Amino acid sequence: MAEVTLALALGLLFALGTFLVLRRDVVRVVWGVAIISQAANLYLVTMGFGLTGAPGTDVPFLTGGTEAPYADPLVQALVLTAIVIGFGTTAFALVLTYRVYEENGTIDLSDLASNPFEGPEAAAAEVRAGDTDGTESTVPPTSDETGGEQ
Amino acid sequence: MQPDAGVLVAALALPFVAALLVPALFRVLGQKVAFFAALVAAGSFGLLATQYGAQGAVQLPWVPSLGVTLTLYVDGLALLIGFLASGVGVLVFTYSYGYMAHEHGHVKYYATLLAFMGSMLGVAFAADLLALFVFWELTSVTSFLLIGHHQREAASQYAARKSMLITVAGGLFMLAGFLVLAFAAGDTAAGRTFVLVGTGESLIANGDAVREALRASGLFVPALALVAAGAVTKSAQAPFHVWLPNAMEAPTPVSAFLHSATMVKAGVYLVGRFRPLFVPDLPAVPEWTFLLATVGLVSMTITAILAVGATDIKELLAYSTASHLGLIIAGYGLAGAEALELGAETGAFHILNHAVFKATLFLVAGIVAHEAHTRKLSELGGLRRDLPVVAGITAIAALGMAGVPPFNGFWSKELLFETTYVVAKANGGLFWLYPAVAVFGSVFTFLYSVRFLMLFFGDRPAALGDTDIHRPPLSMLAPPALLAGIAIVTSLVPQVAIDIIVQSATEASLPVGLEPHALKLSIPKLFSFTPYLGMSLLTVALGAVTYPFYDQLHAGVRRAREVPVTSPNWYYDTLTAGANPVSRRLAIAVHGGAFRTYAAPFLLGTSVLALAGYAATDAVPVDGIGAVPSAPLVFVLGVAVVGALAVARAPSHIAGVLMLSILGFMVAIVYILANAPDLALTQLLIETLVLVLFLLVLDKLPAYYGEIRTRSRAVADAALASLVGFTVFTTVLVATSASPDDPIYEFLLARAGVPAEHGPFFADHGGGSNVVNVILVDFRAFDTLGEITVVAMAALAVLTLVGMRARTEAGANEAAERAPAPDGGRPDAVVEAADASGASDAGADHDATDAEGGDAR
Repeated sequence: MAEVTLALALGLLFALGTFLVLRRDVVRVVWGVAIISQAANLYLVTMGFGLTGAPGTDVPFLTGGTEAPYADPLVQALVLTAIVIGFGTTAFALVLTYRVYEENGTIDLSDLASNPFEGPEAAAAEVRAGDTDGTESTVPPTSDETGGEQ
Repeated sequence: MQPDAGVLVAALALPFVAALLVPALFRVLGQKVAFFAALVAAGSFGLLATQYGAQGAVQLPWVPSLGVTLTLYVDGLALLIGFLASGVGVLVFTYSYGYMAHEHGHVKYYATLLAFMGSMLGVAFAADLLALFVFWELTSVTSFLLIGHHQREAASQYAARKSMLITVAGGLFMLAGFLVLAFAAGDTAAGRTFVLVGTGESLIANGDAVREALRASGLFVPALALVAAGAVTKSAQAPFHVWLPNAMEAPTPVSAFLHSATMVKAGVYLVGRFRPLFVPDLPAVPEWTFLLATVGLVSMTITAILAVGATDIKELLAYSTASHLGLIIAGYGLAGAEALELGAETGAFHILNHAVFKATLFLVAGIVAHEAHTRKLSELGGLRRDLPVVAGITAIAALGMAGVPPFNGFWSKELLFETTYVVAKANGGLFWLYPAVAVFGSVFTFLYSVRFLMLFFGDRPAALGDTDIHRPPLSMLAPPALLAGIAIVTSLVPQVAIDIIVQSATEASLPVGLEPHALKLSIPKLFSFTPYLGMSLLTVALGAVTYPFYDQLHAGVRRAREVPVTSPNWYYDTLTAGANPVSRRLAIAVHGGAFRTYAAPFLLGTSVLALAGYAATDAVPVDGIGAVPSAPLVFVLGVAVVGALAVARAPSHIAGVLMLSILGFMVAIVYILANAPDLALTQLLIETLVLVLFLLVLDKLPAYYGEIRTRSRAVADAALASLVGFTVFTTVLVATSASPDDPIYEFLLARAGVPAEHGPFFADHGGGSNVVNVILVDFRAFDTLGEITVVAMAALAVLTLVGMRARTEAGANEAAERAPAPDGGRPDAVVEAADASGASDAGADHDATDAEGGDAR
C-alpha cells in the first residue's frame, strides 16, 4: 500500500538535503549528506512492512514462534550496518573539512574550486608539455624523415 | 584432424604469461631477455606446428548468457598468420638483442612486443567476432606503445597518437559491422550468433541465409562497408595510409614485425576471412569487388608512387608495405565466377611472400641505419663493399618486391595480373582498368625496389664520407639471412610454399561448398607465354626504361604531395587541431572543479532518468492513499522535517548542528515506532557521537558562509532540490505499494531461532531470539566484517589527517611533501603549502589562520 505520509516526509528530507549539498559552505555540504543518508535509512526500514502496512507487527524477537507478524529483520540488519558506516563517512568528511581549512584557510567551496585547465598548475603542465602541443596542430618536426605528409 | 583446445590455448596464452614475467626476468638476464622472448615465440610456433593440418573449431564458454563463447578456429589461413606472427617473432626478438643493445626501456619493449604477439595470434585464431575484436584492439594498443617507444620525443608521440586514432576508429566501425552481422543472423533459422566460422550455426556456415537476411533489411552494403573500414584502416589503405609512414618512429625491429609482417596483415586477414561470407555465388561482379578490389588497386598505386617520393629508407618501406597490402586486398577483392579462386590464391600467396621479403628488407634497413647512422636515401650508396652479405640478402628480397621473375614476389603478383585479366576479359568495358592500374602501380613498385637495392651499389656519396661501417653482429644478420633463404626456396620452387601452407590458406577464403583446384606453379611455366606473363614483363621493361628518370620522378612526387587539399595528412592535422580546443572547452565545462558542478548534473540526471522510467512504465500507483499512520508517527516525522528545515536555514554552524541532532533523534524515535529497537539504540549512540564530533571540529572552523550570493542560484538550487524531492516522493510511493511474494526474511525468520530439538532453553535463557542480531553475526557476518573494516579505515584516515596537522604545525617542508595522498589529492593545496613553508615560516602561517578561525567564530 502506498505510503503517502512517509513519501512526503522523505521527499522533503531529500529536497532539503539536496539544497544543502549545493551550498558553498563545506560544513553545510556535510550536513546535506548526513540528512540524505538519514532519510535513505528511514526509507529502507519502511520498505519491509511500511510504517502502517501490517497492523500488529512486532519487533523481530522470536518470542511467539516463527509465524507471528514480525517486522522485517533483514532491512533492519541492513540499516544497522548503514548507520554505522554513515557515522564513519561523516567523521571522515568532518576531519577532511578541517584539513581543507588548515591547508587553504577557507571552507568556501567557490573559493576552493580550481579548474584543472586554468591556474598555476595547468600553466606549469603546459610548459612541460610545450613541445607536444606544437605537434598537435602541425606536422611533426621530423616529417621530412618519416614521410609525415603526402 | 580436429584441433586440440589445450594446445591452442597454451599457444595463445604463452606470450601473455611471458610478458608478465619479463620485468622479473630482466633483473636476472639483463638484455638476454631477448632470447627468452625468442624462445617463447619459438614455443608458440612449436605448439601451433603440432596443429598443422588441423581444421575445425574449439569452443570455450565465455559469457554464456549472451551467447558469447571463446571460439577458436584453425585452418590454413589462421595457421599462416599464426606462423608468421610467431616465426617472424623468433627472428625479430633475436635481432632485437643486437639492435636494442644501446637503447632504453627494454622491459617495456619486450613485454609489449610479447603481448602484441599474443594478440596477433588471438586475431588469427579467434572465430568469435567479439573475441576477434578484443584481440584486434589489443594489437592497436600494443602497437601504440611500441610506436611511442621513444615516449619523450614529439615525433613519436605524434606517430603513436595518429596510428591509435586511425586504427581504433576503424576498429569501432568494424565492431558496428559485427553487431549488424550478429543481429542479421538473428533473423535466420540458425539464430543470433557471434561465431564467424567453424560451427554449424556460424555466420559463414549459414552464409546464404545471412546474406538473404542482410539484403532483406538493406544492410548488406553497410555491413560490408563497416567491416571493410576496419580492414582498410588497419592495413593502411588509402586514404588511411598516412599513419604507417609515421609509425616508422618505432624501433626498426618493431617496424619489421608489426608494420610489415604481422599487425598490418590483420586487415588483409580480415578481408580473407570474411570473403566467403560476403562473396555470393552469383556470376556478376559483386559489391565486394567494387569496393575492395578498387580500394586495393588504387591504394597499391598511390602508395607505390609515394614510395618513390620517399627520402628515408624506412619511409620508402612503409609506403611500399601499404602498396603491397593493397595488392593483397585487391587479390581478395577480385571475385565473381572466374576470379573466385584466383583472387584467394593471390591474397594468400602474397601474404606469405610479402611478409618474407618485407621483414627481410626492414631488418636490412635496421642494419644500414645502425651501422651507417643515417636513413637518408641520398646519403647512402655503395654499401656492398662494407656489407657484402647484407647486399646479397637485399638483392634477393628487393627483386622479389619488384616482382622480377622468378623471385618470390613475382609469383603472387603474376597471380594478381592473371586475376585482373580474367575479370576484365569476362566483364569487359571499364573493367580493363583493373589490369591497367595493376601494371601502372607495379611499375612504381619496380622503381622503388631498385632504388632500395641501389643503396648497396654505385658510389659511396660524399655525405657518407669515410664513416667506418662495421659488419652487423650475428644476431642481427642471421634473421634476415634465414628469411632470404626462405625467399629463395619460394622463388625457385614455389610449389613447396603452396603445398605447405598457401593452398590450405586459399581454401579458407573460398565460399562454402566450392571444390578447390590445386594451384600449380613452377619455373617451366615461365616458358609458355601468357597475357599475364606479358604484363609482368611489360612492368619490368617500363620500370627499367623509367629508372634513369628516378630523380625527376622523386622530385615531382615530393612537389605533388605538398598540395594540402589532396593530402590526407592535411585533413588529419586540421581535424585534430580543430578538435583540441573543443575538447579543452568541454573538459573545462565538465571538470569545473567546483563541487556543485559535479553534484548538480548528477542529481538532475538521476532524477530525470528515474522519473522518465516511472512515466514510461506507468509504475506510479494511483489507487488510493494508504492508511493514515498513527498520530505519534506523523508528529515525529513532522518534527524531523522541521528539524531539517531548521538545519537548512541555520544562522550559524552551532545552530545547524543542534538542529541536525534533533533530526537524528527524531529518526531514532521513528525506528522505535517501526519496531526496530536495535536501530533506535544504534542511532541514538551514533547521533550523540556525531554531535560531539561536530562540536569538536566546528571549534576549529571559521564561522559562516551561509549567505547565498545570487537570487538566481537560490532559485535554481531550490528547483533542483524540489525535483529530487519529488523523485524520492514518487519512488517511495512506487516502492511501498508493492511487496515481494516470497520475501527473504521468511527464510531468515524460520532459521534464525534455536532449533526445536534444543527446546526452549536457549531462546528463553541465552538469547538468540533477536533475528536482527543473528543476521548480523551469522547469516551476513561478512557484511558486518566489511562494516567494521570501513569504520577502521575511516578511523585510520582520521588519525592520518590529524597526524598531518601536527606535522604541518611543526612547519617543516617534509609535511608538505608527505601530504598529498591521504587528503583526497588536492595537489594545489600541497603546492601552496610547500610555497608557503618555503617562502616564509609555515608554522607561523598556520597559527595565524587558526587564530583567525577562532576569532571569526
